[in-house]
Amino acid sequence: MVKEYNKEYKIEYRKRDILYTAGLWLVSLILPDPHLPYRREFIKKRDFFYLGALVLLPLILSDPLVYLMVLAGIYAIVSLGLSLFLGYAGQISLGHAAFFGIGAYTTAILTTRYAVSPLGAFGASALAAAVCAYLIGKPILKLKGYFLALATLGFGEIFLVMVRESRSLTGGVSGIFGIPWFSVAGLVFDTYLKQYYLIWGVLIALVLFAKNLVRSKMGRALLAVAASEDAAASVGINVAQVKVRVFVVSAAFAGLAGSLFSCVMSTANPQGFSLGLSVLIVMMVIMGGMGNLYGPIFAAIFLTWLTDVLGGYQEYSLPIYGVILILLLIFFPDGVGTRLNARLIYLISYWGRKRRREKVDI
Amino acid sequence: MSLLSIDTLSKSYDGVRALHRLSLSVREGTIKGLIGPNGAGKTTLFHLITGVERPTAGTISFQGLDITSLEPHEIALLGVGRTFQTLQVMGTMTVVENILTGMHSRLKGGFLSCGLWLPWIHKGERTALQEAKETLEFLGLLGRWKWNASHLSFAQQKMLELGRALAMRPKLLLLDEPAAGLTPAEVTRLAEKICRLREQGITILIVEHHMGMIMDIADEVAALHNGELIAEGPPDAVRNDPRVIEAYLRGRDA
Amino acid sequence: MPPWVHIPQLLAAGITMGAIYALVALGFVIIVRASQILNFAQGEFVMRGGVVTFFFIKGAGLPYPLAALLAVISVVCIGFLLHLLVIYPLRKASVLILIMATVGASIVLSNTSALLFGTLPKALPPFSGDLPLEIGGIRIAPQGLWVLGATFFLFFVLYLLSNRTLVGKAMEASSTDPLGADLTGIARNFMVFLAFGVSAGVGAIAGVLVTPLFYTSYNAGTLLGLKGFIAAVVGGWGKNSGAILGGFVLGIVESTSIAFIPAGYKDAVAFVVLLLILYFRPKGILGSPYIDSRRW
Repeated sequence: MVKEYNKEYKIEYRKRDILYTAGLWLVSLILPDPHLPYRREFIKKRDFFYLGALVLLPLILSDPLVYLMVLAGIYAIVSLGLSLFLGYAGQISLGHAAFFGIGAYTTAILTTRYAVSPLGAFGASALAAAVCAYLIGKPILKLKGYFLALATLGFGEIFLVMVRESRSLTGGVSGIFGIPWFSVAGLVFDTYLKQYYLIWGVLIALVLFAKNLVRSKMGRALLAVAASEDAAASVGINVAQVKVRVFVVSAAFAGLAGSLFSCVMSTANPQGFSLGLSVLIVMMVIMGGMGNLYGPIFAAIFLTWLTDVLGGYQEYSLPIYGVILILLLIFFPDGVGTRLNARLIYLISYWGRKRRREKVDI
Repeated sequence: MSLLSIDTLSKSYDGVRALHRLSLSVREGTIKGLIGPNGAGKTTLFHLITGVERPTAGTISFQGLDITSLEPHEIALLGVGRTFQTLQVMGTMTVVENILTGMHSRLKGGFLSCGLWLPWIHKGERTALQEAKETLEFLGLLGRWKWNASHLSFAQQKMLELGRALAMRPKLLLLDEPAAGLTPAEVTRLAEKICRLREQGITILIVEHHMGMIMDIADEVAALHNGELIAEGPPDAVRNDPRVIEAYLRGRDA
Repeated sequence: MPPWVHIPQLLAAGITMGAIYALVALGFVIIVRASQILNFAQGEFVMRGGVVTFFFIKGAGLPYPLAALLAVISVVCIGFLLHLLVIYPLRKASVLILIMATVGASIVLSNTSALLFGTLPKALPPFSGDLPLEIGGIRIAPQGLWVLGATFFLFFVLYLLSNRTLVGKAMEASSTDPLGADLTGIARNFMVFLAFGVSAGVGAIAGVLVTPLFYTSYNAGTLLGLKGFIAAVVGGWGKNSGAILGGFVLGIVESTSIAFIPAGYKDAVAFVVLLLILYFRPKGILGSPYIDSRRW
């Protein structure tokens, strides 16, 4: 009698087994990994899925949503850069919006006043942001924790004040208008669709760069600096130099994003580069998970969508935004992906554990 | 030939005298033990040698070169490796990555070349991985090379820390209480590994409280007390030195 | 006229402003002395003090002193709430998460203020009349003297609190040595809770004092908070006396700088001062018990 009972159960077990395992496999296919050891293979099957989704997405979405993805892509570039500085090297920056703004204004000024080609301005923006990061970074990066956070915040504010005051150069509070569309060799990116492919193409290239970096000795150096500066120095890593260099790289990313932002918006004004943006970008990196490259990109899409949705509520939007921020920090301090993944696995494995419990009772 | 020589080194913190006119040297290819009660200044000495702190007076020379005022990473690049009393294993990385981090100074490439994955980076990574695995085998950790480093047991993490220091092929290795918290069997294994390192030509300076291990493997022992050198010589001589016994039994005031 | 002629007048303005910065800085230091947490929302407490007082006067028709008292009490309650809802759940989180959480709290506070009380700037009548006093050719608003007086009074009270009372000592213990504090039976979380309340109170009082001089509105808090933090760092991080000194130094430097550079850059001056101090003397003028010389 016991044997028959077990047999029935066994069949049920198999059906559910397959179903749930298939579901788990499907889901793991889509969600980015949380903190997995041994810097994964360079390309996984999952990446092709993402790539395909990216390519096909704008063809399905309506125009305003494509615009949203364009914005998300730009912010994703900034958060990708910041994730190297914050997620990997463990240093805090609350002023990255300034580098974004430096890039935006460089492109704006060069294309409107000096008739530089958008491509040239693109490169110059990254360079300008990188140079500023180098100059600021060398003294500031000696600081840690709260002090570094506040120094970077201070830098961000100084940037805003300088932009608002140098009216002749930057158009002051009203900003610069009439920035031409991005164009390369005759191809002009004037519709949201074309801009989408441009920006996400740039993002993919930068992701490849970042993946390489993370897998190499420099990626390990970043993690080492975050884990223990003393130990890193004891193996010959020049901690100060590494910090400055990753700061410069992340600023260059932000500068590139800023340049693209100018070309998409056609205007550049100080309102777009405030402390709020710096906070948003840091949230993207935290939500995506520290030590993660894809996570911040997903978080960028999510948060851009969120700010857009909240914008519809007008005056209630900002307090709700703040509350959501706090809730996200309380419940997902390791990044949304980590928790979701763990939760899903726990849920799906529930029946397996239940089964084992029942078996023991019999 | 003394690889490391310390000359009248003094260090005080806001009036508290941590080290006072300390002079000692370590001969190449030997294991030197550094003993003394807690607070005698042993870890401070390590901090001074590796450049984490600056002495108030005195000089430190390594291979004839004055390293007193060099930065920690510069000293490391000269061939001085160290482990830490408070284990500084990098828990965000895997076991093999910890070892690879130790090889940082021996790999070529900067941010740009790594990001672009230039050919020599690729080759370097492959040979580095091979070498790291060999080091892990020496330490007995090869089976767990893909594990997250924080998931290892305490003794294994100590081995990993040793491995990270070894990965830079140091000429001088500073070990800060490597046997602390290990069971007797693990201590024996550790002692055996340290002796193998001496055979490979590495000079080792060990701070230890585990008398058994020190007396077994050290060629020479120095005893510190209240920041001063109170005895130096072969293990047996120091073990029986009355001042050393007094220091350990009486403590600070002796 | 050559710029330095204006300096005495600017000095007076600077001292007044400096007193405000000193109070905001004190608020920061109180929490740091209990918990090593930096409360980005500190400036919001100040802002709320002024705005809520205005609301009680205009909206509820209460007399000035009562409105001010109620406002301070309500802001203290906000401080307690902030601890309970945000800081306590995150008590084990990393520095970064705490920073972001207090930034989020700052956003919530400033924008709910805009929601509840409107976005127009609010002004309060000065305590003792509008007529500026003339002392040696310099005009000082009498409100400024109230501010100075309150600053020193509060500093004295806090000195007594932290050095003479057991509660104060307990607060300091829980920040310098959390494990030790736990082992000796100090309820650390409660200490932090209290610290938030006291800091909110100090901030609210500062808000009530400053609103007659400069109107407050919902977004004045952020900048004020930042400058208060800068003042605390400049004077000596973690010391009450440092906060006061730093406040005055910052106020004076900021005000006198107007004589030499265009007025629009005034806000940047504070940040430049911050960067300079962090670079050259991170311990601050009076030195800091928290900053390890080895690491900086």
